[in-house]
Amino acid sequence: MITLHQLTKVFGAQTAVDALSLEIPAGQIVGFLGPNGAGKSTTLKMLTGILAPTSGTATIAGFDLLKDTLEVKRRIGFVPESGAVFESLTGLEYLEMVAALYAIPKEAARERIRQFISFFDLSFETLTDKLLGAYSKGMRRKVVITSALLHNPEVVFFDEPLDGLDANAAVGFKALIQTLAHEGKTIVYSSHILDVVERVCDRVIIIDKGRLRLDGRPDELVAAHGRGTLEKLFTQVTGGAELEQRAQDFAKTFRP
Amino acid sequence: MHKLYLTLFLRGRSSRGLQKKGVPKSVGAKLGLVLLFYGLFGLTSLAFIHQPVFAVALYSHAMTLVFLGLFVAASSGEMLFNKDEADIMWHRPVTTRALLRAKLGVLLKVSLWLAGAFNLGCFIAGVLAPDGGWLFPVAHALSTVMEALFCVGAVVVLYQLCLRWFGRERLDGLMTLSQVGVAVAAMLAGQVPQLMIRFHGKFNFDAHSWWVALLPPAWFAGLDDLIAGNRTNFSAILAGTGVAATATVLWLAFGALVRGFETGLQSVGEVMAPKRPHAERRRWLDRLAGWGLMRWWLREPVCRASFLLVAAYLARDRDVKLRVYPGIAPMLVWPVIMMLQSRAPGQPEFFSGFTIALTGVLIGTVPLIALDLLRYSQHWQAADLFHAAPMKGPGALCRGARRAVTFFLTLPVLVVSVLLLWLAGGAGPRLALLLPGIIALPLYGMLASLGGRAVPLSLPGEEAKSAGRGFKMFGVMMISMVLAAAATVCWSLGWFWWLMLGELICVSALFFGFRAAVAQTRWESLE
Repeated sequence: MITLHQLTKVFGAQTAVDALSLEIPAGQIVGFLGPNGAGKSTTLKMLTGILAPTSGTATIAGFDLLKDTLEVKRRIGFVPESGAVFESLTGLEYLEMVAALYAIPKEAARERIRQFISFFDLSFETLTDKLLGAYSKGMRRKVVITSALLHNPEVVFFDEPLDGLDANAAVGFKALIQTLAHEGKTIVYSSHILDVVERVCDRVIIIDKGRLRLDGRPDELVAAHGRGTLEKLFTQVTGGAELEQRAQDFAKTFRP
Repeated sequence: MHKLYLTLFLRGRSSRGLQKKGVPKSVGAKLGLVLLFYGLFGLTSLAFIHQPVFAVALYSHAMTLVFLGLFVAASSGEMLFNKDEADIMWHRPVTTRALLRAKLGVLLKVSLWLAGAFNLGCFIAGVLAPDGGWLFPVAHALSTVMEALFCVGAVVVLYQLCLRWFGRERLDGLMTLSQVGVAVAAMLAGQVPQLMIRFHGKFNFDAHSWWVALLPPAWFAGLDDLIAGNRTNFSAILAGTGVAATATVLWLAFGALVRGFETGLQSVGEVMAPKRPHAERRRWLDRLAGWGLMRWWLREPVCRASFLLVAAYLARDRDVKLRVYPGIAPMLVWPVIMMLQSRAPGQPEFFSGFTIALTGVLIGTVPLIALDLLRYSQHWQAADLFHAAPMKGPGALCRGARRAVTFFLTLPVLVVSVLLLWLAGGAGPRLALLLPGIIALPLYGMLASLGGRAVPLSLPGEEAKSAGRGFKMFGVMMISMVLAAAATVCWSLGWFWWLMLGELICVSALFFGFRAAVAQTRWESLE
């Protein structure tokens, strides 16, 4: 479903993504991990057509990202980390605008929106009466997730989707993406909450400094490296192994 | 804190568009261009080279007040009441007074840079004035600093008084109105010198009417005259008024009314849940777009979505309103001022015809200005959505924005301008002189969309402070004046309708060419 071949992005003198190659089949939930500045968001922005790769190629749902960008965009959904929305629109206005961008007829869009608000326990009045600027962070995140799934995409990219969601909504969301994967959709899930990734994802990809470091099933990777959890494996791979000791040493400097 | 706000002001609060390696360089270049623009425009003072000190200073202070007024009007809202700042600054141990002082210090500093650049020409003209001398630059520097203090302080007092009188619930609307008011006042101040110029056989400057004492630029010109000019009693009265007014404004801004600023800050941080009637009222937009003719006009979904987005922001968003309405308000003031001037004794007949033609051409620039200003928003990151959506390019979004600007801004400005011209005595067959501008309207809108630049709300607000925009608008104004003059000459020679035919053909050809170019524009990668 997704194929990356030597995908590279260079900003000035800095290589954010360095010749990344991988394949993700349909129906898989892939945890896309890496420390801050590893190139995760840049990769996702390239795969969603927001950023142009410096070199390399990618195909999504059978379409070349560079040659058939429009076809790719029709088949993907994206929840960006920023969660930015047009705050001076109501939730309904925003979602209807998104639907228009994907050429979904108004009535069909409104019906679909009703299904989403029912799933997320939002009231239709909230969606019609309040501007997005007045929404709580969690409510806004629900609107952003709805906007990414509204057009029933084949591939969905989530960048920190749980940020702001309460525990119940998070549980519901995790169940939703697992079901979506069973239905054949491909999910790329970027997050720093590793225990969630470990539980939800079929496969984990860890990148650091723009390069692929590890790729495999979470349980197999943890077992192969002799680490008890994905979190421990992650810190080992990305050079954070001594962090605990460093934190303890630093904490001692707060003593009066 | 002053340094922090100065850096934020110059560099902006977002980093997109600034190359990581060249941040300081790009800011410096931008600022340099702005100052160059002001410096070049300030050379117009040299036209007063043989006028007395008071006349030179009056022209200079009036124009300085225009530029500073427009600058402060455009910058103060975002600077003083920035919503994003709440999470960063307001929980720190910083007093409101210190915050206000730092912000106003930055506004003042940048105002002084602009005023300094603009007044370079005036320094020369003042030194060479018949009653001038080497003391003039010192006097003029002092009076310009006072004028900048007065201007910045006055805007803050205006906000504070509005907050005190009308309450913080209406802050959004009040800020927009205040800034429109400041922009209009600045435009009116710029007319002071023109009102005093009389053509009694030769260029003459009549600057000693009693009503001059009521105008702020005259107070500061009085200070120049008192220190480095004729030193008359009239100058002393004006200078005294200027000093007293500046002191009062600063006392009010920093002392008596500082509590109002605190209230304003709190209300910016609060997000009020709208009441139900408000929500009901909000649906007018949806109803409007569904109305017969509009439904057909906006039949394309993306165009319609963009239209509704722009309409919502023009009606609701403080940041956009503060930028757009003060930006186009001078276009409404201009025809009235010009028409009143054209009726003054001694003005040639040509002038009133030119006034109508220029009004028309200026209305034509409304889409250009508005579409340019609508590109900026505090919610610019949300526009990434457009790049991720399945659209070949930004053409349909630009089209929707253009139609929203036409419907909500250009048409009302056109109607109001015609009414104002009629009320000011410019009615009659000569109203046809508005046509050159009206015919050019679609072209100006298309011009703003070239290269897909009119994607609404897609750039950080800070990038609106660009020298390039000033140069562009200056160029457009010059072209407008040439077109208006050509139309007036053709009118008096009886060639007007031929000119219109020629313009119609040229505009149509360019319009369709530009439209094809915009439709073929593709998305650029967001670096």
